[in-house]
Amino acid sequence: MSECPKSRHANKSKNDMVNLVDNVEQKEDLKFNRRAFLKSAVGASMALGLSTVPFSVRAMMGLTDDEEDRVEIIDLDQLPVGESHKFYYPTEKDQALLVHTVDGDLVAYNSECTHLMCPVFYQKEENKLLCPCHKGSYDVNSGQPIAGPPQRELPLIEIEVVNGKVYAVGRQFRHG
Amino acid sequence: MDKKWYWGIIFFTVAVNVIMLQLTTRAYLGREFEMVLPYSIVGVVMAGIAFFTFLQWKKVEYKEDEK
Repeated sequence: MSECPKSRHANKSKNDMVNLVDNVEQKEDLKFNRRAFLKSAVGASMALGLSTVPFSVRAMMGLTDDEEDRVEIIDLDQLPVGESHKFYYPTEKDQALLVHTVDGDLVAYNSECTHLMCPVFYQKEENKLLCPCHKGSYDVNSGQPIAGPPQRELPLIEIEVVNGKVYAVGRQFRHG
Repeated sequence: MDKKWYWGIIFFTVAVNVIMLQLTTRAYLGREFEMVLPYSIVGVVMAGIAFFTFLQWKKVEYKEDEK
């Protein structure tokens, strides 16, 4: 097919996209086309891949942290069945809850909801941990979410009872 | 190599990197720090593959314009 200028300002480029002189959206066609789409996809792929790097740097720093200590929480006889006691572990910023469940078990979790960090409370009547902000609830025996928006379990605090005193001795983030 | 292969490889890296970012943040928030680095390495390798595939695609794609 022979080429001929389509108007006085006809572009003599060999690129078909440039020669679309009758197209009222020529600028958009030049800007948003197949090539630009692939370039965006490459940019997205690289951005996604490289955005994992800060996490691994922080994780490698976190591996050197040895944060857990043995901390006394409360005398066991001060915590009757069906009651809970607030404490902080492993630091003063990490709020936690020791629960003496109606079944007689002792369990402890960091009490910041894994949804939006609101403090959770022990509900004796339903034997579960409740976050009042968005009605998220957790199984008191496992710390796993059972209703509402939370997707992850509460960090489990390992406890020991020695001579009638309850101690926090460690913490697990993924359990059960 | 056919240009469709370049497209396929690039979109495969996008899909893998979406999953790697999700797994990395999940491992980081779950304090599974030993899992964060492998996921991150896969993400960076896929980003590199995407970039070099793009360079190859660009070479083939724009060569056609010069003909």
